[in-house]
Amino acid sequence: MFLAWHEMKYEKLRYGLIITVIGLIAFLIFIISSLALGLAHQNTAAIDSWHTKSTLMNKDANGNMGQSVMTESELAAQTQNKQTAVVGITPTNISKTHKSDHDAVQFIGINSDEYIAQNLKLSKGHQPKHQNEVIISDKLSQYKVNDKIRIGLDDTEYTVSGVTPDALYNMAPVVYGNLKNWSPIKGINPTFKASGLISKSSASLQTNDKRLKVYDRQSYLDNLPGYTAQKMTFIFMIVFLILISLIVVTIFLYILTIQKLPNLAVLRAQGIPNRYLVQNTFNETLLIMILAIGFGAVLTAVSAFFMPNSVPVYFDLPLMLGVAGGILGTGLLGSFIPMWVITKIDPVTVIGG
Amino acid sequence: MTTLALKHINKTFGSGQNKVYALKDVSFETAPGDLTLILGPSGSGKSTLLTILGGLQTPTTGDMVVNNQNIKKLTQHQRETFRLNEIGFVLQSYNLVPYLTVSDQFTLVDHVKKQDNLDDADFEQVIKQLGIEKLLHQYPSELSGGQAQRVAIARALYANPSIILADEPTAALDSDRVIQVGQLLQSIAHQQNKSVVTVTHDIRLKEFADHIYELVDGELTQVK
Repeated sequence: MFLAWHEMKYEKLRYGLIITVIGLIAFLIFIISSLALGLAHQNTAAIDSWHTKSTLMNKDANGNMGQSVMTESELAAQTQNKQTAVVGITPTNISKTHKSDHDAVQFIGINSDEYIAQNLKLSKGHQPKHQNEVIISDKLSQYKVNDKIRIGLDDTEYTVSGVTPDALYNMAPVVYGNLKNWSPIKGINPTFKASGLISKSSASLQTNDKRLKVYDRQSYLDNLPGYTAQKMTFIFMIVFLILISLIVVTIFLYILTIQKLPNLAVLRAQGIPNRYLVQNTFNETLLIMILAIGFGAVLTAVSAFFMPNSVPVYFDLPLMLGVAGGILGTGLLGSFIPMWVITKIDPVTVIGG
Repeated sequence: MTTLALKHINKTFGSGQNKVYALKDVSFETAPGDLTLILGPSGSGKSTLLTILGGLQTPTTGDMVVNNQNIKKLTQHQRETFRLNEIGFVLQSYNLVPYLTVSDQFTLVDHVKKQDNLDDADFEQVIKQLGIEKLLHQYPSELSGGQAQRVAIARALYANPSIILADEPTAALDSDRVIQVGQLLQSIAHQQNKSVVTVTHDIRLKEFADHIYELVDGELTQVK
């Protein structure tokens, strides 16, 4: 570390610029990762809050619970217990009574005696006491407890009884209501009673009904409309940014090494071991990457402070550490070519001339 | 006692009709306390000879023995250790690491060679003798040519080698400086009992040498 540290201290501007460029790339990766996680969170927050392990729904729904419908007899034939809950999910919209502004939501009908309803955490208000009372996501900040609202195709007047945090499903805020209201809100035949079953048990749901299909948690998430495409887009962006950072680090270190070749050749001639010089390049890369990632992390923290609430970023420390580890790892990988160049230095070149 | 001995060294490049002799049957010896001057014009094989003396190249034929050790038989790693322990190079240019202060140039040696470097008392004596004691916190870019050359000599001496190899140490120096460097190399040889081999085309150094050789077209002839 001796040579690396002194060189960086001496060449402050040069190394400062390199650290800035790599730090900005790290910042971009942090922000995009947080944005990806934030958007994923908007898809799955409600599903996560149910501790979903497996789901059961109509086979024709192709894994999209919002498209699934099940009759009472189909439901009755399924094994249900304290770890399962029947849900009726439909994308719809809500509006305050006598107002024309509509807001897109996901209505999720649940039974009050099942675990999802019983585990709902409220930040305001109370649990529904009547069939026409609903709990809304705190993202619907324009609505307040006791507001009268209309939902979807149903003419019934509903009352907001409570507000719950972390209630988002497939990018839309959730309105939890009584399962009996699901079919009129969705505007379908009342013989259909629900979309499907959710289970938080590690033992997967089972069914003998060939019209129904069980999905594990990941398949359920992957079949949410737009979720996989969105996830893959972000994964590609992050992977490409990390690859770009690898290329940038390699180019910088390669140019730095080429510029230092006469000095390194002198050191080799003087008997400084090859291993010491290679180790020095590795240490230099480590220092650059740590400082750059630190700079990127500070920028991310500052940006997070000023970022408007409407931007769906979600900062998660384990994810950040994982991303930082990825950037660090690829950076160190980038030092291999300069290290190889150092092993090929011929000290004879500095004699004579 | 011989510190360094070259025995019938030949160095050729190319083969067949393109075979070129850089060194032809070169033999010579140095002992502790000797300042040996090898004079020769450009292209005479001086650099090749210096790289062989420094263990950077192996001769095509012949042997080189340093302190009773045949250098030709050493591995790459052993040669690095040999250079670090036995050879102090004073090169024409790029002698010093630009981003290390004069003091740190010596610390670097401590990092790679943990033992047998000059102790504090000897180090004080060397830097006083070379007149660089007030330059310890300066970077090479802040030194004059002569100061940098003296620091490079001190750096070469710091690892306490038995042999000092100097490559054109007076290049680009005026006559006054040439005399100073000549006296310095002479005192290193005589007072510190080192074998100093200087490869140069600067005849102004002749008066300081104990032994003088001329290298012409790869052939070495002793003239003093």
